[in-house]
Amino acid sequence: MSHPVRARQPIRAAVGDTHPAREIGPLTQTDIVRFAGAGGDFNPLHHDPEFVRSSGFPGVISMGQLQAGMLAGWLSDWLGVEHLREFEVRFVAPVFLGDVLRLSGEIVAVDGPGPASAAAPVTESVAEIALSVRRGDDTVVRASAKAVVASS
Amino acid sequence: MSDGKLIGTVVDEIAFDVERGKIWEFARATFTTDPVHTDADAARAAGFDDLPATPTHVVVVGHWRDQRAFVDRLGLALERVVVGSVRWQYLRPLRAGDSLRAVRRVVGDERRDGKRGGSMRVVTLETEYVDATGAPVVRQRDVLIERGKSA
Repeated sequence: MSHPVRARQPIRAAVGDTHPAREIGPLTQTDIVRFAGAGGDFNPLHHDPEFVRSSGFPGVISMGQLQAGMLAGWLSDWLGVEHLREFEVRFVAPVFLGDVLRLSGEIVAVDGPGPASAAAPVTESVAEIALSVRRGDDTVVRASAKAVVASS
Repeated sequence: MSDGKLIGTVVDEIAFDVERGKIWEFARATFTTDPVHTDADAARAAGFDDLPATPTHVVVVGHWRDQRAFVDRLGLALERVVVGSVRWQYLRPLRAGDSLRAVRRVVGDERRDGKRGGSMRVVTLETEYVDATGAPVVRQRDVLIERGKSA
């Protein structure tokens, strides 16, 4: 016997709301290799020290998509993956082995609420979120997102 | 080759499936903790009919792409190319069992002056991911920057 499943509702949110920051690191070669295997990016800049030496970089660098995936995952852990509408990242600086990263974000705008309906029993709005990945005082990734939230 | 002639060119077209094991792997590799990505019961309780993928999951298409052929085709010097930004637009969440087709096109190709003199080439690619019914589910836009030789 199957029961109708009630989908998760968007969380209630307002301008200025945040979610506990996530700290990741120090970043290891294993973290990078695990992401290479998951995502399929086998550029030797990310795992081969000899190749890296010939490239002019001071050390193995992480793939931008690793930082993007970490930040997107932190965001969807907060707001629910099914509620995301848009996610955009700008890569500001390279990330190296040993870096400690801090992921954070804040709701910076909430659109006027749409009408409540039977399909959407809470009043849904689209929130804009400003996000970043920082290493100490340096920003390495800047990002913005749009997601459906509940507003009063 | 940055006179705009490449605009509209289909760079590649790849079919792939969204798979449970790959969703689990990708969630772990990106430190994503929502159990809906790894636990079938948690996914069902949240209203999904199978594990939903994490937001940037579509990049797994990299497993099937030939990056060397792609940069050659666009006439880019790989060692001078960086990814400036990436944007995803979500039309619905992806879940295990989806069969997708990804079509990647050139939508922009221009020269811009660099901040410290010299010029750079900016190539914008758009990938549309379409499901088995033909409906678009995710759109991705990548902005690639090729630094000038002297910069």
